[in-house]
Amino acid sequence: MKTLPLIIFAIAAVGQWAAPLSQIWTHEQTLTQGTLIKLKCSAPDPYDPLRGRYLAVRPEQREVSVPSEMKLASGAPVYATLTTGTDGLATISSLSLTPPATGDYIHLKTGYTYQSKASIQWPFERFYINEKLAPEADKWFAENIRSDKGIIAEVRVLKGRAVLADLSLDGKSFREILKERVK
Amino acid sequence: MNTSHQRWLLEQLPQWERDGLLTADAARTLRERNAIDESQPGLSQIVMGSLGALLIGSGLIAVIGYNWDDFSRPVRLLFAFLPLLVTQIISFRVLQRGDAAAAWVRETAALLQALATGACIALVSQIYNLGGEWPDFLFWWLLLSLPLTWVLRSHAVAIFYLIGIAIWSVDQVGYGRPWHDSSLLYPLLLLGLVPYWPGWPAKAPLSISVRWIMTISAIFGLCSAAVFVSTYHEDYYTYRHETFLWLWTLTAAALVLFPLNHVGIDESTGRKPQVVLGSLWLLGYGLAATFRDVSDDILKGASHALKLPWCWGLLAVLLVFVLLASTRKRWAVLAIASIALLPLISFPFVEGNSGYYSTMLSWLVTLHLSLIGLTLIVLDFLGKRGAPRLGALLLSVLIIARMADSHFSLLAKGLAFIVVGVAFLTFNFFMSRRHRQPALPSA
Repeated sequence: MKTLPLIIFAIAAVGQWAAPLSQIWTHEQTLTQGTLIKLKCSAPDPYDPLRGRYLAVRPEQREVSVPSEMKLASGAPVYATLTTGTDGLATISSLSLTPPATGDYIHLKTGYTYQSKASIQWPFERFYINEKLAPEADKWFAENIRSDKGIIAEVRVLKGRAVLADLSLDGKSFREILKERVK
Repeated sequence: MNTSHQRWLLEQLPQWERDGLLTADAARTLRERNAIDESQPGLSQIVMGSLGALLIGSGLIAVIGYNWDDFSRPVRLLFAFLPLLVTQIISFRVLQRGDAAAAWVRETAALLQALATGACIALVSQIYNLGGEWPDFLFWWLLLSLPLTWVLRSHAVAIFYLIGIAIWSVDQVGYGRPWHDSSLLYPLLLLGLVPYWPGWPAKAPLSISVRWIMTISAIFGLCSAAVFVSTYHEDYYTYRHETFLWLWTLTAAALVLFPLNHVGIDESTGRKPQVVLGSLWLLGYGLAATFRDVSDDILKGASHALKLPWCWGLLAVLLVFVLLASTRKRWAVLAIASIALLPLISFPFVEGNSGYYSTMLSWLVTLHLSLIGLTLIVLDFLGKRGAPRLGALLLSVLIIARMADSHFSLLAKGLAFIVVGVAFLTFNFFMSRRHRQPALPSA
């Protein structure tokens, strides 16, 4: 048996493990050690042929004011500082090109800029759900998206990384609500 | 001669020997010359192996897509990694067996492992609700699957890789992307297949199906890169279509002149998709360039393109390919490829004039195509390898094109079309009779 193909195969096999494992590591770190922030959002129900049903999570805040001295190209990576309001919901209060020294922040990309505002691309956009629960999730969404309380995305944030942990309504987990509804 | 022809020949040899058509020595020589490399999988083997692996892999992805809500995260992660581990063990066993492993087993193992890799990445992103666009997912999936083509020499994974990098490149044409996240990466991605072909040491030539897919992938990938470099930004991003059209033509010329060894040169044109598709584009482009308005656009495009590093890279590659083709005496493909460079010859004659409006290029291309047409006919009459019907077709189309944009009356144009049509049919009839005449035995 030739050695070179075996070495290459071993490197490839390690790579095939390393790529998803590195994702797991960073996201587990964020989930266990990150700060919990809450964002008001909307969530329709589309489908991904590879990963199944998901709710497309779209936080309400789409634009941020850009400081006059900051020049941003479309798609430029920035650091967004999050501030939690009196209602317990977080919003982006400012943008910077370097990580802020204090507070919670997310590393994200900007979209188009006009006048003194920039659109933002949130680093999370999907909440995957069970195929059986998807139709009920769709109904739940339609019933509650216009309510005053709204659907809340619970996101864990650590060192600029953000992981979508859960969706909730009136403090109750989305999965729990759905399981009760399909009983 | 392809494998199916060789198989047919080998099946006929015993009968021909019995009938006394061949001596035993001649039959042995034919067997040696047409020995089939059984380590190379046949098309049916690839199809069957790939189909089985695809069904299993798709089933796996669908099961994962169901999203098993009742299981904890570690259990679901186990679902992701278990198939990957199993397929890696199967591939390792196949690799251990080396040449003793059947070709279809090798194909199936490689494709299964590639699919399990994709399923694993997909499941991890599902469990952690990762966003991200599908091209990013495809890019990493392709990179992680690529080594399987080298070590298991899998045609199916190579085909998957070639199609995947072409789709990825077309998607990355978008405005304002950094070069390292754009179609400009395509040449590097294509070079990733070099260890698979020609391989180390160089084994059998590529199968015809892989050649066609590789050529089509290269066309999509390289043309996407040409479009990407042709964007410019004033108040908003836009493309210069005349610029990337000339870059596409340079790409076609490079494809036509792609270096071949003596065996490759001797193969029929149908087995050289890069020559077929590249020539079709160049001849079509050449015919379009005979029209004055189009040639004006081409000159504008070439003028803009010459400011781009991508264009100079293409010209450098072309120069090397031209030198190699010259040493191999590939005059026919050199003549066709030279159509792409005619704008460069025209520049000294049009620069300094107001704008680019000039008949220089259109006449130059008309003359060049006429010479190619005549040469293709004359070569056949001289007993060399020519293409008289293609030559006649080229001349006829040129005459029709010139008549179409002339100021002659409709009657004159109609009569000219009839004359050309009759001449073309007569020539076709004459060539058919000429080729039907049996060659006289030499003295």
